[in-house]
Amino acid sequence: MINPEQYPILIVIVPFLSAFFLSITGCFKRSLCRPIALLALFGAAAAAVGSLHRVITTGIIHYRLGGWPPPFGIEYVIDHLNGLVLVVITLVALLAAIFSGKSVERELPGKEPLFYALFLLLVVGLLGMTITGDAFNLYVLLEISSLTAYALIAIGQDRAIHASFNYLIIGTIGASFYLLGVGHLYIMTGSLNMADLASILPQLYGSKAILTAFLLILIGVWTKMAFFPLHTWLPNSYTYAPTATSCLVAPLMTKVAVYIMIRMMFSVFTPAYVFHHLAMAPVVIWMAIAAIVGGSLLALSQRDFKKMLTYLIVAEVGYMVGGIWLANRLGITGAILHIVNDAFMTLCLFLAAGTIIHRTGGHHFDNLKGLFHQMPLTMTAFTIGALSMIGVPPTAGFFSKWYLILGSIQAGRYEFVAALLFSSLVNAVLFFRLLEISYFEKPPHQENTAHGPVSMVAEAPLTMLVPLLVSAITLIVLGIYSGELVTKIIQFAVPAGI
Amino acid sequence: MIWQIDLLILTLIVICGFCTIVVKDLLGAAVIFGAYSFLMCLLWTEMGAVDVAFTEASVGAGVSTVLFFAAVHRTTRHVKMKPSGRLMGKTIGLAAAGLMGCVLLYATTDFPSWADPNSPASTHVSPRYITGTIPDTSVPNMVTSVLADYRGFDTMFETAVILTAGLAVLIILGQTGNRSPLPISRLPQGPITQGYDDTIIRFITRIMTPFLQLFALYVIAHGHHSPGGGFQGGVILGATFILMSISYDLRMVTNRFNERTNLLLANTGLLIYSGIGALCLILGANFLDYSALAKILPGTTTITARSEAMLGVEIGVALAVMAIVILIYNNLVSNGTYENGL
Repeated sequence: MINPEQYPILIVIVPFLSAFFLSITGCFKRSLCRPIALLALFGAAAAAVGSLHRVITTGIIHYRLGGWPPPFGIEYVIDHLNGLVLVVITLVALLAAIFSGKSVERELPGKEPLFYALFLLLVVGLLGMTITGDAFNLYVLLEISSLTAYALIAIGQDRAIHASFNYLIIGTIGASFYLLGVGHLYIMTGSLNMADLASILPQLYGSKAILTAFLLILIGVWTKMAFFPLHTWLPNSYTYAPTATSCLVAPLMTKVAVYIMIRMMFSVFTPAYVFHHLAMAPVVIWMAIAAIVGGSLLALSQRDFKKMLTYLIVAEVGYMVGGIWLANRLGITGAILHIVNDAFMTLCLFLAAGTIIHRTGGHHFDNLKGLFHQMPLTMTAFTIGALSMIGVPPTAGFFSKWYLILGSIQAGRYEFVAALLFSSLVNAVLFFRLLEISYFEKPPHQENTAHGPVSMVAEAPLTMLVPLLVSAITLIVLGIYSGELVTKIIQFAVPAGI
Repeated sequence: MIWQIDLLILTLIVICGFCTIVVKDLLGAAVIFGAYSFLMCLLWTEMGAVDVAFTEASVGAGVSTVLFFAAVHRTTRHVKMKPSGRLMGKTIGLAAAGLMGCVLLYATTDFPSWADPNSPASTHVSPRYITGTIPDTSVPNMVTSVLADYRGFDTMFETAVILTAGLAVLIILGQTGNRSPLPISRLPQGPITQGYDDTIIRFITRIMTPFLQLFALYVIAHGHHSPGGGFQGGVILGATFILMSISYDLRMVTNRFNERTNLLLANTGLLIYSGIGALCLILGANFLDYSALAKILPGTTTITARSEAMLGVEIGVALAVMAIVILIYNNLVSNGTYENGL
């Protein structure tokens, strides 16, 4: 049996080693690639769940890489916050990988080995950024996840190359900002370990270099998470990416960036510095409101449902950033809960979109016509995702939004409450319009046979349907157990002293 | 530290950076960018960071310049600017860059002085690496011990970044559907064509290549004692093959290193690195804790085992880097078809 002490490293190493093994196997037998990827992701998910369980029962886990004590070596630290995020990443990646089989076969024939190797490396990048307790190690993994994402987006259709190039330029600038910030921290402290930085920094809080470092890191991470004025790269890249890519990238990339922001704000810097020393919380909340309103309005103007969903991601990022900068327990709880909920909501909606694209061949609103009758299960899952996005109980989306609203009332930020309600309203309009099209309008292609009109569009294949339904059910389960989630895990993830 | 030289180099670096942006001929820009890298390399050497300088020389000035050439060869040499909105964009860009410069200057006022021995970077973790490298790892070059042992986990992922870049080039340039990822049967066969027929260049390349490769192996193997290691050695090895492909023909290299060989080599390199780490795990220690390897490496103690394992790791890095450099060059220069090179 594997020593539970080693779980933290297994989360990252199992998919990492498998990526190379898969790549080599792919040179000889292409059909083995997907099973290897699935097995690796399953292993990582098991290790992540095991780690979270250990965190809950015995407390924070520290793992020394190479056996070197921090700050001399690199350290992995799993606490309640990243333990939860790790589980979310591995589960979402596993579902996306199960889903991807048929769509990769159709959209990227002959490229399966490369696709799955990059897929695994992308997941490794996200996991490594989440688990690490070292600010520079985070940057290295950021490079891996970004490079793989650029490649996986560029192989999509239409303007994918162009969109990916845009993303590459803006993403690289964002990553450079982060690196520059970490460089400033290193010059001023001589350390890269997050816990060590946190113990040295309080003496330096008056320093201009530290202020610059904080702002550089913040702007870098905001670029990576597509926070409103910096979001321009996101909609096109996620729309034109291959289905399998967008199902992995859309639910996870922005959420991991939000996690990094939380980690930097509370584990490297302190809430006292971020909220009291710097008087920037009101500005950030207004930016979050701009993200929510702007993202929602732009989503409203789309006639392409995949693109519409990408603008909703931009709005959702506003929820989480705003929630954290409310600077109270309820707001931060809501934001962390929303990381989990939004990952599964986005996954559910993108899986549904992917299924529809697979069957109808397009992502325009017209492709949805009459789909409720042809793909009832897919559309039911889509409806659950949509209800969660709007925030209807008992789906998960309601509960995180509830915490966010309570938090903003407590902080006296009624403008943020208004933005949240406005966004729910827009989501309701958007999704009911989609549901109306898919329920009431006649499908365009019908063949008249002896038995009356028969549609050419059928329910999705099982490998697509199962992950989709699982993600939809997860949304309801998460909603029902959200109280448990908060009391058992998330309340320990909120930094002390708030 | 001689401040006059610093000032001269820094001025030239700024001029080169500026010219790279302004020059409209992309080939010229690539050359100036190479010069920029060499100046950076001088700066690193002058600051005593010889390993960094070596990497900058081989990767920044050497291979990336060649890769820029390959990309320019396959796209276009001259920048075409849309006249509309050009001034607007330039103004915004200049304003943003100016603002950024001001912010960075603002931050530097609190920095410790240049080369201050009492700066945090020199007093916090560095002393441990400097005094600890021999007793901890028995490797005299502390850059190597930091790179491959204390922070070896970062280096493993840096190598993975290079592999990722290779895979990315392959998945984007490889022609969708038409070409299998194993194009060995479809490789253009036959004798080497008269690509760039110059007797002197070919002769010199032929004479130089073995020595260059021997030097690369030396760099890899001697990284424990002197500047160098897997990255630099791997890049030099890869560069010798690029040199052959430029002076002879792309086919000369693709016949020896086709896509499949490169992929296998690169992934094997990464498997060697992460496999050594995983072996430590199996032997009961933490990941990449090389001291556990003393159990299976004959004649080593827990300390010398670290040194031996670092050599293994460097070999893995070199293999991966060499294969990926060749792979990226081959694909870029032929637009993924493997037919015609520079």
